[in-house]
Amino acid sequence: MFKNYIKITWRNLMKNKGFTAINIAGLAVGMASAALILFWVQNEASYDQFHANKNRLYQMYNKSVFDGKLWCWGTTPKPMMKSLKQDYPQVEQAARISGGAFLFTVGDKRLTIPGNFTDPDFLTMFSFPLIKGDPKTALNSMNNIVLTEKTAKKLFGNDNAMGKTIKIDSVDYFTVTGVMKDLPNNTRFDFEYLLPWSYWEKLNKGEDKNWGNNSTNTYALLKPGVTEGYINTRIKNITRTHSDIKDIDVFMHPATKWRLYSKFENGKIAGGRIDTIKLFSIIAVFILLIACINFMNLSTARSEKRAKEVGIRKVVGASKGSLITQFLGESIMIAFIAGALALVIIQLSLPAFNTLTEKQLFIPFNSAPFWMIVLSFILFTGMVSGSYPALYLSSFAPVKVLKGTFKAANATFSPRKILVVTQFWFAIVLIISTIIVKQQLDYAQNRDTGYKKDNLVYTFMSGNIEKNYALIRNELITSGAVTAVTKTSAPMTEGWSDSWDFNWQGKDQNAKIDFNMFNVDGDFSKTMNLKILKGRDIDIKTYPSDSSAILVNEAAVKIMNFKDPIGQIVIRDSHKLVIVGVVKDFILQSPYEPVKQMIIQGPSAWFNVIHYKLNDKNTTAQNLKLVEAVFKKFNPDYPFDYHFIDDEYSKKFASEQQIGTLASLFAGLTIFISCLGLFGLATYMAQNRIKEIGVRKVLGASVLGVTTMLSKDFLKLVGIAFAFSVPVAWYFMHGWLMKYSYRIEISVWVFAIAAFLTTLISIITVSFQAVKAALANPVKSLRSE
Amino acid sequence: MIKITNLEKFYRTEEVETIALNKLTMEVNTGEFVAIMGPSGCGKSTLLNILGMLDDPDEGSYVFNGIEVAHFNERKRADLRKHNIGFVFQSFNLIDELTVFENVELPLIYTGVTASERVKRVEEVLDKMQIMHRRNHYPQQLSGGQQQRVAIARAVVNKPKLILADEPTGNLDSSNGNDVMELLTDLNEQGTTIIMVTHSEHDARYSHRIIRLLDGQTVMENIMV
Repeated sequence: MFKNYIKITWRNLMKNKGFTAINIAGLAVGMASAALILFWVQNEASYDQFHANKNRLYQMYNKSVFDGKLWCWGTTPKPMMKSLKQDYPQVEQAARISGGAFLFTVGDKRLTIPGNFTDPDFLTMFSFPLIKGDPKTALNSMNNIVLTEKTAKKLFGNDNAMGKTIKIDSVDYFTVTGVMKDLPNNTRFDFEYLLPWSYWEKLNKGEDKNWGNNSTNTYALLKPGVTEGYINTRIKNITRTHSDIKDIDVFMHPATKWRLYSKFENGKIAGGRIDTIKLFSIIAVFILLIACINFMNLSTARSEKRAKEVGIRKVVGASKGSLITQFLGESIMIAFIAGALALVIIQLSLPAFNTLTEKQLFIPFNSAPFWMIVLSFILFTGMVSGSYPALYLSSFAPVKVLKGTFKAANATFSPRKILVVTQFWFAIVLIISTIIVKQQLDYAQNRDTGYKKDNLVYTFMSGNIEKNYALIRNELITSGAVTAVTKTSAPMTEGWSDSWDFNWQGKDQNAKIDFNMFNVDGDFSKTMNLKILKGRDIDIKTYPSDSSAILVNEAAVKIMNFKDPIGQIVIRDSHKLVIVGVVKDFILQSPYEPVKQMIIQGPSAWFNVIHYKLNDKNTTAQNLKLVEAVFKKFNPDYPFDYHFIDDEYSKKFASEQQIGTLASLFAGLTIFISCLGLFGLATYMAQNRIKEIGVRKVLGASVLGVTTMLSKDFLKLVGIAFAFSVPVAWYFMHGWLMKYSYRIEISVWVFAIAAFLTTLISIITVSFQAVKAALANPVKSLRSE
Repeated sequence: MIKITNLEKFYRTEEVETIALNKLTMEVNTGEFVAIMGPSGCGKSTLLNILGMLDDPDEGSYVFNGIEVAHFNERKRADLRKHNIGFVFQSFNLIDELTVFENVELPLIYTGVTASERVKRVEEVLDKMQIMHRRNHYPQQLSGGQQQRVAIARAVVNKPKLILADEPTGNLDSSNGNDVMELLTDLNEQGTTIIMVTHSEHDARYSHRIIRLLDGQTVMENIMV
């Protein structure tokens, strides 16, 4: 019996090659899209779930009230790690981790490479296996270093790196005591080597015992059997016990939730990436569903052709069940062909998809579970898409179909109408969402940053740069490549430091107000093109007392409630700081948030970065060449590194851009699949109504009239779909926009554009067939009866 | 073999109710060859469909081989049908995507005959119908007469007790038509009961008895000599 089914399926497919192609292509594209999304979801869900100890691993978090709101954050004081190990028997191991980048010298090779400092436990807590070396001892002494395989190869080629020496920052020598398997793509950690924490302490002149300095990530491995709830009751007061800070609670955030549940609202987990995952999973399901709907529509539209077969089979003894089996088998067979094609599509599009999502996804061809999933995916798709046609076709009464009185209900009969409306409803929701995401992105990108980004460049102060800063600055200016230079604590695009330890006259002593902190020396406003609204810039050359001068931004003036801010005293750590100027608010962190209150300190503070404004009279290449020469002269051991603020700033939009691109990609695919279906339906409709068209033409209908008549039915469906999609799209996008303080209002135009686009696309799709039918010679069509 | 009593069938649309069969009573014995005649719309085809268990009556009784089947569900009817009844249609009703051999094989597949037995029986019947040489052709490649032979081969391959023929010569020229009637007569002589709907007095003459219908009722019965 199965042989018979397969035979007839195959012959049917071959006989209607056009429809077979549309059907299989639609299904394959749908399956491939859904599978790509599921790959991505699977990858997201697998983050840091490969650690053997994942159920016992935690990151330490702080919790405290600011401005009446409970905030949680994952940077912790450095002494916490030792206390965890000493005072809490529930903790088996603990390690801090902190970032850095150093110049590595091996023979003639010089490379600046990013890596991490960590405590020796790190290697045994986490499952980052060493290919060579002993994880228990590899980081035990200060001059040990563990390299990733990739870095070892970079530095030593194919030689065995173990025991070799690396010079770091032209001052210290390290011995390679471990080579680690390269980090997988699905981990939060990102380093190319690990240095012992003891080296951090050497660089920073001793152990940091300050419980008020939240500047490192601390991880803990609990002993088996210790629950999260229990440890959190024990650990809550760790900061209070060790310091006079009384308003910080500490808790542990489990490894199983790091990736997907990392957003906290009022002290409780409130989602995170899981929201995006859910959203895209829904999109995946819908895309697959839409491909299945296509299949259903095309299969049932062709029912007239299959009706006779159904009738005959029933007459000669087929039961309804055996016909359902036959048609389901048919759709499963088609799903198999589509599935194979989908695998090809996935394989071909993975590189582009990986670039887009910044992942390294691949098809695990050798994995048995993968093939099991593929098999069930195909079976599922085949069953879903075949279910309705199978029930529909198998229910034909043989009496009707064999007497020729059977007329498949008009090509736009009810269930099919609902299916088309569903497809377009989803496609339009995606189109509207895409437009809104793009608008919001544009809006944020065009927001006034408060300073001028173009030609603004920064270089990290490595090696001798800090020592030679004055010379470098002078030479940069005299070279003509640069018009202004300033030192700062962090790049203009990043907030590295904040503090709530400020006092001023009139401050409500119960309020805890957190300020962004930034350090600059002279020429800050000139270099950044930043507007000073009141007072002046910090200028130690003209005003020697400026070592205690500060600038504040508008937001700070407002929150500190100063009528006349200039000359006001702000006290920090018993140091008196004097406000000498008010700068216009500028965006340091998120372009979607209001600018936070900020205090900018003068030259007595610490610095990490040089910012300089390139001379716009020269080309960028000329400027950079001159600048590089200056840095090479005063810091010869280090490669010249530089970052354009423009580029760095645009990275702030990466995540929204990614969502926007993915949304438009999937909107496009959905439209494509839906249009394939619409095209197929229009073809059948034109065929079914060929006699009617002939009669109308004989009676004097124009081509335009016939085309309009045929297209109208479909446009009505698209119209209904549009009406349903507007509230849904509005609801979702409104919710999405609420994440951003700085956001657009959804305008009516968005809906108008979406309506116009969808109508246009459907007219093009349908009218092709409609015009063809309208142009046909009526003599021919009438004779065909 | 067949006994129907007071059989009624209505067709309803929203506005009109049409009576297709009006308290029809008739009997057909095993081995008979009966022709049913009457003008268009007199209920011939409806009767044939009910006899073939493709349709069910609204009222009345239908006893087939001693079993009351009037209110059997679709599944039971299908089961009874596939073992007992063969159909021949005016428009042949072959499946275009299957070859001659595969079309004839179909009823055997649904009655669960083994593959080797199927080959044997299909070849036997194709041979008998003299279309063995066309076994691998598709229906569209055959003449009308040949197609009807295939259809008859399919109807008899399961060795049914009853053959229902709905204007079997309607789409054929007279010579092919006569051939088909000869075939049916042969089958009848070998013991198969045949009920045939026809418009053709010529064809009706092959039968033993003609039942004439008008407005869903028997108006006359002619016994052929």
